[in-house]
Amino acid sequence: MTANRLTRRAVLSAGAAAALATIGAPVILHAQTATLKITTWGGKWGDIMKAELLPAFEKEFKCTVSADQAFPFVPKLQASPKSNPVYDVLHTNSNEQWSSLDLGLVEARLDHKKIPNLADVYPYAISDKIVGVSIFTSAIGLGYRTDKGLKKPTSWKDFADPALAGMRGGYIIPVNSLGQCHLMMLGKIYGKGFTDLDAAYKALEALKPIKLVDFTGQMEKMLLAGEVNMGVIHDSGVLRYEGQNQPIDFAIPSEGVMALEQVLNVTPGSKVKELAYAYIDYMLRPDVQKKLAETVWYSPSNKKVKLAPKYDARLFNTEAKVAQLIQPDWKWYNARKDEIDTRVTRLLKG
Amino acid sequence: MSARSVDAGRLAYYALNGAIIAFLLAPIAIVAVFALNPTPYISFPPVGVTGRWFVKFFATDDFMVALWLSLRVAVVVLLLSMLIGGACALALARGRLPGARFLTAFFMSPLMLPAILTGLALFQVFQLAELDRPVWGLIVGHTLVAVPYVLRTTLAVLANFDTRVEEAAASLGASPMRVFVEVTLPLIRPGVIAGGIFAFIVSFDQFPISLFLVPPKGETLPVVLFNYMKFDLDGAIAAASMVSILLALSVVLLLERVIGLKAYVKL
Amino acid sequence: MTDHSLPASADIRLEGVSKSFDGKVKAVDDVSLAIAPGEFFSLLGPSGCGKTTSLRMIAGFEAPDAGRIRVGGADITDVPVHKRDMGMVFQSYALFPHRTVAENVAFGLRMRSLPREEIRRRVAAALKQVALDGYEDRRPGQLSGGQQQRVALARAIVIRPPVLLCDEPLGALDRKLRQSMQFELKQLQKELGVTLVFVTHDQEEALAMSDRIAVMNAGRVEQVGAPAEIYDRPRTRFVADFIGEINLFDGTWDGGRFIAGDGRSLPATMNGARPGAGAVAVRPEKARIVAPGEGAVAGRIESANFLGGQVLYRIAASGDRHMLAKETNMGAAARPVGTEVGLLWNEADAVVLEG
Repeated sequence: MTANRLTRRAVLSAGAAAALATIGAPVILHAQTATLKITTWGGKWGDIMKAELLPAFEKEFKCTVSADQAFPFVPKLQASPKSNPVYDVLHTNSNEQWSSLDLGLVEARLDHKKIPNLADVYPYAISDKIVGVSIFTSAIGLGYRTDKGLKKPTSWKDFADPALAGMRGGYIIPVNSLGQCHLMMLGKIYGKGFTDLDAAYKALEALKPIKLVDFTGQMEKMLLAGEVNMGVIHDSGVLRYEGQNQPIDFAIPSEGVMALEQVLNVTPGSKVKELAYAYIDYMLRPDVQKKLAETVWYSPSNKKVKLAPKYDARLFNTEAKVAQLIQPDWKWYNARKDEIDTRVTRLLKG
Repeated sequence: MSARSVDAGRLAYYALNGAIIAFLLAPIAIVAVFALNPTPYISFPPVGVTGRWFVKFFATDDFMVALWLSLRVAVVVLLLSMLIGGACALALARGRLPGARFLTAFFMSPLMLPAILTGLALFQVFQLAELDRPVWGLIVGHTLVAVPYVLRTTLAVLANFDTRVEEAAASLGASPMRVFVEVTLPLIRPGVIAGGIFAFIVSFDQFPISLFLVPPKGETLPVVLFNYMKFDLDGAIAAASMVSILLALSVVLLLERVIGLKAYVKL
Repeated sequence: MTDHSLPASADIRLEGVSKSFDGKVKAVDDVSLAIAPGEFFSLLGPSGCGKTTSLRMIAGFEAPDAGRIRVGGADITDVPVHKRDMGMVFQSYALFPHRTVAENVAFGLRMRSLPREEIRRRVAAALKQVALDGYEDRRPGQLSGGQQQRVALARAIVIRPPVLLCDEPLGALDRKLRQSMQFELKQLQKELGVTLVFVTHDQEEALAMSDRIAVMNAGRVEQVGAPAEIYDRPRTRFVADFIGEINLFDGTWDGGRFIAGDGRSLPATMNGARPGAGAVAVRPEKARIVAPGEGAVAGRIESANFLGGQVLYRIAASGDRHMLAKETNMGAAARPVGTEVGLLWNEADAVVLEG
């Protein structure tokens, strides 16, 4: 059986190699070194990962890292055999980790002994709202134009200011987790709590007319272009323009900000689990955390990270600041997602 | 009275044509404005003209690697689908196969299926076979959805094909092989090439299937653009789109010019 | 591949040839024909009579289920099309649309791997023969229907086939052009001395051009003969009816006389017909219009159609029958409609039909 399988594989790979050779596509050589398959973000994050952090990891651990930047990660993981998953480490936002857990695609709990740096993270990073570990977080608050005579918002209620009609920006809730966070926040502000959906729907309806985007990155462009004067946005989307003379700023409402966590987790079927844990530990190292935080304006989870002053001033890197972060209950939300999607789609139509 | 109504009819005709052309060209115009506008977001009216997004597009390795890969994959898909689609069309139209109608529907079925499912299914097969995501797998995926285009256009030519032309050649002393080379092939060529052009564009622009089948560092341009859009939405996307449009257009024109589509065939 | 020792024309023999496409209906049913070398031979009949299938079997496009086909004495039943060395002309011309006129004509010569210079010479000669010299570089799409058919003809004859097969070659042309092409084709055939098998459903065309005609019906040959023989002496009711216009009378042979259904005796000689039920036929131009009492049959003129050289009268007889009579136009006024008349003919002009 094994022999047969090897033969078949050999034949198929030979065919693959021939096909690759004929069109001269980039050949990824899998030598005897172990390969760690991960997912990662694109943009500046991806640039620094590919240029510095991943090569350094490969060198230190004598392995190859295959980093997939092409969405959608969870369906691909789901479609691959559990015993030989297409990823060893899954990097997504928190909500997707919860749905992955439901599908048995990620570990329910990380082995703390294998990730020594977990000892140094803020409690929120490994709280019961997280499956895996949150290595960074962004804060979802309000971005606004500073040149339109707007008062700096202090409460989420300021977003409902009638003067902002048609000039406020939100998300298409079914496809964007920032929009989902905002919906939960509306329940808290206008109702009995984050799970008060009826109050949230009512409040959402009151925000019409509102401009909606699907990609997270579109909101900052809308703000920059002056298409909206205020929008729900994560802090990094605004802070990255610091020093570029753009008339936009980020405000932390008094009720708190929602956490947009960057979560890593290991797949149960991974054949290189030790390496997977080592990678997570590596990503939590203070120097790695500092590098990424100062590249993309994400707040690091490791308490020991010492940021440069301009980052230190804005990111959530003290116990007091971290206390402002509200972690959404994705397990609760995911269980109701279909029902919510139907409701908000109808609600925001027209 | 009647002269006036004729004029009104003509006016309406021009207006409708203008509206259709505008409808077709407007997206391209928007992309062009975005690509040439210096701001990193769509703004109207444009604030100026710049080539910086084109420079960024051409200077970014990720884009160039992806563009090059997309082009090569599209060329291979073009050739494969012409070969497979042309041969299938001949077999279906001429082979007197039992269940030819069913087979035609079967070969056309990749077009009926949501491409994203085709991509996912192929991905799953490759994963189960422990092949990971080879480039030839991507090519197989693209070819699967490109073949129906060649099949359709070639079948259309074959439907109007006067088989007496082949009989005439045979009566003049041409063996079946020579009939095929000298008569059949040249006559179905326009259909095969027209389908091949579709195949090229289908592959070059392919997103849903590629989404699942591209490996890390082996992403095609549409996938790279999609991911780029999620993190850095700026004019480079528009510049890339312009380049894609022009590339696809020039391939079509080149094929048309070199191989000729309408020189002698009354289609 | 090509046997150049073949004479300029060859005889064709069909021996008990049958063909069925669905295993039930016989498209061609036990047909035997002997076509002489250099003969202009037509297969005539309505659509579906098996004439085209017969031709396609001679050409080799269809294989007979039974029977043999011989050309110039050789059994070619199992020889593939491209080795039969026959010229073929189709109704749809079947020119190669992607090639020029000269390339079309040269095709058969090229297949025979002839030297370039000879090909050029023979193409030019063939085009001259069909009066298309100067059209070498045109494409078929740029020519009229008549010109295209001439190209097809040149393409077929340039290989100097001993046998030329034509499947309704003039069917797509308009009437006037068709008539001049009929003449040209006949001329050309005589010049070349080729054996020509001509399929048509147009009896006038067949009568005008052929040395001999085989009239076919329902897969069988009804009668073979020279045009005059087919016209003047049709053997069967089908042939009589299919070729031209004719007056048919059913009746009985009784003591050497033909007694029509209404009991009258009609002018006819038995000519070897079997006694009992029979039929005779009289061509309209053989029927004379006489006074009502003097005719073999009587009736009333229902209509008079002026045909130029002749006037065709339709005469209503008793028992819902109609008869036709043709009179030469001598310049006098046509007989008025409604006139009671009789019809008479010579015994020798009444054709005795089989069955």
